[in-house]
Amino acid sequence: MFLNVQLPWNVIIPAENLDAKGLMLQRSIIIRLLDEFASKKATKELGYYFALTTLDSIGEGKVRQHTGDILFPVVFHGITFNLFRGEIIEGVVHKVLKHGVFLRCGPMEHIYLSSTKMPDYRYVPGENPVFLNEKLSKIGKDVVVRVIVLATMWLEVEREFRALVSLEGDFLGPVSSF
Amino acid sequence: MSDKGGKGSSLPPKGIKSSLKSTTSNGGSFKGKEDGSTKSKKGRKVQFDSDKVSPKSSGKTESLFSKGNTGKGGKGDNTASTVKKSPSKPPPPLELKVEQELPKNAKCIMDAEALQILQGIQDQMVILSEDPSIKIPASFDRGLQYAKTTGNRYTDYQSVRRILETLKEHGVTEGEICVIANVGPETADEVFALVPSLKGKKEKLMEPLKGVLDELAKLKQLA
Repeated sequence: MFLNVQLPWNVIIPAENLDAKGLMLQRSIIIRLLDEFASKKATKELGYYFALTTLDSIGEGKVRQHTGDILFPVVFHGITFNLFRGEIIEGVVHKVLKHGVFLRCGPMEHIYLSSTKMPDYRYVPGENPVFLNEKLSKIGKDVVVRVIVLATMWLEVEREFRALVSLEGDFLGPVSSF
Repeated sequence: MSDKGGKGSSLPPKGIKSSLKSTTSNGGSFKGKEDGSTKSKKGRKVQFDSDKVSPKSSGKTESLFSKGNTGKGGKGDNTASTVKKSPSKPPPPLELKVEQELPKNAKCIMDAEALQILQGIQDQMVILSEDPSIKIPASFDRGLQYAKTTGNRYTDYQSVRRILETLKEHGVTEGEICVIANVGPETADEVFALVPSLKGKKEKLMEPLKGVLDELAKLKQLA
């Protein structure tokens, strides 16, 4: 789900960006902040970083000893996205394999729904493989499926999440998109 | 990654998944700590009811999920039959405990709210993109797209928020309210099925919940 987070951050402005025109300082702080925010991509606690909404405060700058840069502590609000265990989400299938399907939900590409967690669905191979159940409900590519999150995992190296989801439960399964 | 299951970060590895993704080298996706993977080389798949739970690894990480990082072993005996966290304890009920997992400075927002905010930013995107030094996170587009599909259910999220706030008096948490808003259930039964943590208060909540759902149904945007 989406989160609105308030974060403290330290923005470092290199000395060459500081010039006599003090007004530009705030702009360069904001730009640096946006830059770092964008490159951060995601963290384990807060999920994927989407957007900065407001800049609450910029603290007093401290000069760093050896480099001459200035460090500004800032506090800002931003929107992030994270999946939680037990959450209900709607993902879109983008890959169908024999033992399960991969869903995409927002920025997360690797959400796995195993066939063991799809009760009553069986794999139907073919050029466009799908999972089918007795009521002829289909789970195939580009189908929106409502699932429950069983677990999530943070990968430090790639800086992304993986998630495991399931269809076991009432009111879960493919939804008719509207 | 702390394999103490901090913040739900551990993942009961599925044999299939790990065979797809991870290689046997430690660079694999399920990599956690070196010691974890070397230590329980054999009894790696602790979660799966398939036998080998190395007690040491479950002792080491006291969380039920434990050994998330040891998942890599997907070799065969890890035929993900059931996802059992550790054979000795029954798996914890799958409940939404967002509040416990959230860091202190974060607040849940509904998809509809997020949509408003992200759309506002997109509107300004034209102006922003003229300045080459301004960078927008890569996942912004994806997030906006997702918010559009899920957040479009209700036209007026402030009324939704107001209506759902009344549930707070009955002890429903912020996270649960967000899930209810995001899912857009039609009946009270659906809510209890999808948000099992509310089941404990079922009797108390049934009436107010029905009222709330009726109100929400009026607000639902027709396709």
